[in-house]
Amino acid sequence: MIRLAGVTKTFRDGEQALPILRGVDLEVAPGELVAIVGPSGSGKSTLLYIAGALDTDYGGEVTIADVPLAGLSPTRRAALRNRAVGFVFQSFNLLQGLSALENVMLPGMLRRDGTDRADVRERAADALDRVGLAAKAKAPPARLSGGERQRVAIARAIFTRPRVILADEPTGNLDAVTGEGIISLFGELARDGLTVLVVTHEERVSRAAARVLHLHDGRLSS
Amino acid sequence: MSARGLLWIARASLRADRRGAIVNTAAACVGAASLVLFLALGLGVSHAARRMFPAEARLVDVVPGAVSLGGVLGGGQLDDGAVARLRALPGVADAWPRLALRVPLAVPGPPRGLDYNWPPGMTVQVPVVGVAPGLVAQDLRGRPFVDPRDGGPIPTVLSGRLLEVYDKTIAPAWNVRRLPPGISLVGVEVPVRIGFSIVPQKTEARVYDGRLVLAGLSDRVPLYMAAVPLDTVRRLHREYGKSDQGYTQVTLLARRPDDVPGLVAAARRMGFAVDEGERAAAERVGTVVLVTTGALVLLAAVMCALAALAIAQSLSASIRGRAKEIAVLAAVGAAPADVRAIVLAEAGIIGVLGGAVGTLAALGVAALADRVALGLLPDFPFRPETFFAFPAWILLLGIAVPAAAAVVGALAPAAIAARVDPARTLS
Ligand SMILES: Nc1ncnc2c1ncn2[C@@H]1O[C@H](COP(=O)(O)OP(=O)(O)OP(=O)(O)O)[C@@H](O)[C@H]1O
Ligand SMILES: [Mg+2]
Repeated sequence: MIRLAGVTKTFRDGEQALPILRGVDLEVAPGELVAIVGPSGSGKSTLLYIAGALDTDYGGEVTIADVPLAGLSPTRRAALRNRAVGFVFQSFNLLQGLSALENVMLPGMLRRDGTDRADVRERAADALDRVGLAAKAKAPPARLSGGERQRVAIARAIFTRPRVILADEPTGNLDAVTGEGIISLFGELARDGLTVLVVTHEERVSRAAARVLHLHDGRLSS
Repeated sequence: MSARGLLWIARASLRADRRGAIVNTAAACVGAASLVLFLALGLGVSHAARRMFPAEARLVDVVPGAVSLGGVLGGGQLDDGAVARLRALPGVADAWPRLALRVPLAVPGPPRGLDYNWPPGMTVQVPVVGVAPGLVAQDLRGRPFVDPRDGGPIPTVLSGRLLEVYDKTIAPAWNVRRLPPGISLVGVEVPVRIGFSIVPQKTEARVYDGRLVLAGLSDRVPLYMAAVPLDTVRRLHREYGKSDQGYTQVTLLARRPDDVPGLVAAARRMGFAVDEGERAAAERVGTVVLVTTGALVLLAAVMCALAALAIAQSLSASIRGRAKEIAVLAAVGAAPADVRAIVLAEAGIIGVLGGAVGTLAALGVAALADRVALGLLPDFPFRPETFFAFPAWILLLGIAVPAAAAVVGALAPAAIAARVDPARTLS
């Protein structure tokens, strides 16, 4: 579950204050796929990073997977991202030095508690299988297609069985057919009970969502 | 993050930038190699020097005063009273007198079993000195060193350096074979003629046969003298009616090396002289070796520091290029402390790898240098087999110092990496 209450965000450009979010209220329940649409520069990514505990410089209150973010130490926040949140980005953001499988293993290797490599590898292989990429486990990202890379990124996001998936333009770099595949993958994750929040300006994505919210002038409206 | 996970991720990061990793490892390797090589050279040369000049830091050789003003008062004489007074000086652990044998003694033939090394018909006059057993006790490994009253073989200690000098100088000059390598001469007996001198007028009225048995080799015995128990010398003096004219020398053992200067001054105040010839030579050589080694190690330290700087510099550059990757790590759950640890671990891996390779390279270079140098140098007494010494601690330092230097060099880049703002970098 994601809950944002009265979230504000202001960038500062020298003397000038640029208010981007002016009081955002949002609640996404488990099993729900919610899309946020809005023009470029409206603050969609900014909102997503606040909801994912990556950005701490904001006003208002955020709760992810029943954990209020206020006052969490950087280490606790990182652990929360590791356990409860899965990020998917427009540009995939896979690490070039690692194979597809190893990219999926990454969150597991960052775990503080016992890192049994064989176990992590096995679960990563399961996650890759889930997105239909078991055959490409050994391939480096450079040798995967855009759609395949995004599926690896989704496998990495679901590897730790998070409660929340946050996706920023996940189909922005993909063609229509490939994009459809990714969107239906998000639908499946939501049906499995995950909380899925997707930021997009693509119609086809929002059509798959249970709810579509518009970000405009720093506020959300349906 | 567990240590395993840390290494896994650090290795992956290094793999992503192989070229940078290799260049950094090479820098660490050069630092390590120079450090290990210079340290081992300094240590090896000082070992060799100590073999040539085996002066012990705690020994003080007291001899009778040169200008014997005290002779009138009995002050410059090294008699039993003087030995007692010297032993009572603060800082003295022990005092061992020496008494030169005034009865001639000659070796008329070879030790048993070593006949091939004896020019036929040669008789060698041997200067003999009686020493307190304590002086050589550490070199006897439990063998007895007491006067045999019953006419048995007299235990004798020779200078350890004498064998080396014999092998490298005397044997070639006499054109006889060298001693077989590794042979232990301890226990070997040699016939002697007591009272016999190769200068006919000096031969005593009574000459009789005896034997010496080699009880040990010691660096505390003069190079060209045979040391026997003090009691043996006293007995022979009694037998031949010679008076003991006082000790020729008293060796003081200081409690600590720091006590030595005080003892030297005290002995001089008592009207004695201090024989500093060997010590001074050893100290000069030691100082030269120390200063040279120090300079080389300093140079190596500078090279390690330069390697650390190079690693710091190239890591900072690579961190700036890797901001996005670092942000991704943060997104999947790396805390700033984890990011810092990953960068430090990368540097640590580079340092350990470079250190290990550099240390191995140093071992190789040393072996090569030994081969070349020993091929070029003529054979001389105390010629070292190697100019290097590689105790375990040097090898450990060869890995630890570059690793530590690399990690220290990575502190600033690691701090930069930990400050990467993932939200700003990813959007
Ligand atoms: N670090 C920053 N400093 C100043 N302004 C910033 C910073 N980051 C973002 N902004 C501004 O905040 C606004 C919102 O940015 P954001 O990336 O959230 O937009 P977006 O809705 O995701 O746009 P797009 O659809 O193009 O991705 C933009 O006008 C952007 O210029
Ligand atoms: Mg955006």
